[in-house]
Amino acid sequence: MTSSDHSDDPSGGQNALVAEYVLGLLDSAEHQRVGRLIEADPALRAERDFWVNRFAALNTQFEEVAVPGHLLARIEARAFGDAAKPAPARLWDSLMLWRSVAAGALAVAVVAVGFSAFQPTPTSSALAVQLVAALEQEGSDVKFVALYDGATGMVRLTALSGEAIPDRDFELWAIQGDNKPVSMGVIPVNARSAIGLSPEIAAGWGEGSILAITLEPKGGAPDGDPTGPVVAKGAVTPI
Amino acid sequence: MSMQSPSQDIADLIARCALRDRAAFRSLYERTSAKLFGVTLRILRDRSEAEEAIQEVYVKIWQRADRYVAGGTSPISWLVAVARNHSLDILRARRPVSDDIDVALEIPDAGPTPERATEDSQERSRIDTCLATLEPDRAEAVRGAYLDGYSYDELAQRFEVPLNTMRTWLRRSLIKLRECLTA
Repeated sequence: MTSSDHSDDPSGGQNALVAEYVLGLLDSAEHQRVGRLIEADPALRAERDFWVNRFAALNTQFEEVAVPGHLLARIEARAFGDAAKPAPARLWDSLMLWRSVAAGALAVAVVAVGFSAFQPTPTSSALAVQLVAALEQEGSDVKFVALYDGATGMVRLTALSGEAIPDRDFELWAIQGDNKPVSMGVIPVNARSAIGLSPEIAAGWGEGSILAITLEPKGGAPDGDPTGPVVAKGAVTPI
Repeated sequence: MSMQSPSQDIADLIARCALRDRAAFRSLYERTSAKLFGVTLRILRDRSEAEEAIQEVYVKIWQRADRYVAGGTSPISWLVAVARNHSLDILRARRPVSDDIDVALEIPDAGPTPERATEDSQERSRIDTCLATLEPDRAEAVRGAYLDGYSYDELAQRFEVPLNTMRTWLRRSLIKLRECLTA
């Protein structure tokens, strides 16, 4: 609950926290936060490995169940399909690069270079407005980067993290001023997507416009207004 | 010349996957998929979700094979952890987010150094012995969290105790377990 829960036994409390992490008992926000701390600290990584190894002795209790035969072909298509992408796409896909985008404004400049370097844009677009937004939310592991190119009028979205959730969809919204959110449609987690601005959104589009992603029923919010929790959001900024 | 251990075989296959060896990936899948499917099925408790999850798990294994570090965990433990963590991520994404975001985590005191990986079979009796030092229902709660992916909420309901009691039980049990495991 609060820090007082662990304060009665400092070292024991910390050790229990890593064990709780390994067991998967922490909620989403806490799990991610502890995970980052562990990654950054060799002592905590050793502690995590300790618990993973010790609990692994219980793995014999997971019964073996044959996987339906048709799944291997699908797995190979998904796994090898990604690996076969040409080099420029790998730059776009590079998780390290995109994570750094979300991390800070400095990286935005790097991305602008990376983005235009393999984007065969006409020279006139150099003057067109380009906007970027890092979409994230405390307590959620869903992170996207959005890039708007004035030359094409499209918002391109790439997921940095987040998993598709069965029977649910992620929906993108534009929020401008005090107006209610306007849907930009359902977006995939596992693929890049490009979305055009509707006239309604284009009218108020620019620096300060907010993009938000909510978790909605399959197919998107039924009545055109967001119903689910905001899993990521961010304001667009010029680059 | 002595035969390689099964564990070493699996480690080799993972290493070859990191080198983009597709035949190795298929061998790894053939040798390990039944086990990992058992993991996703038990935790997700839904066959179609488990089938979707097992596909994502093997795509992850292919993509992250280079992150497997021999000596940290045994290869099969690493694979089970990928499957288990992926299943738990799916469950966790559905659960409401609580306000528990202020728990302090500092570097643990220099206690007994965690040892390097050992074979699961050698650890088996040790974890059982140590779980047996806990009160039976608390040992069951630890097993339920590990094997079934139960949350604190679910454990509290199953054992019919308040949520905070369950948290306290589990944390104390884990501290006790650690003492026993490192004794």
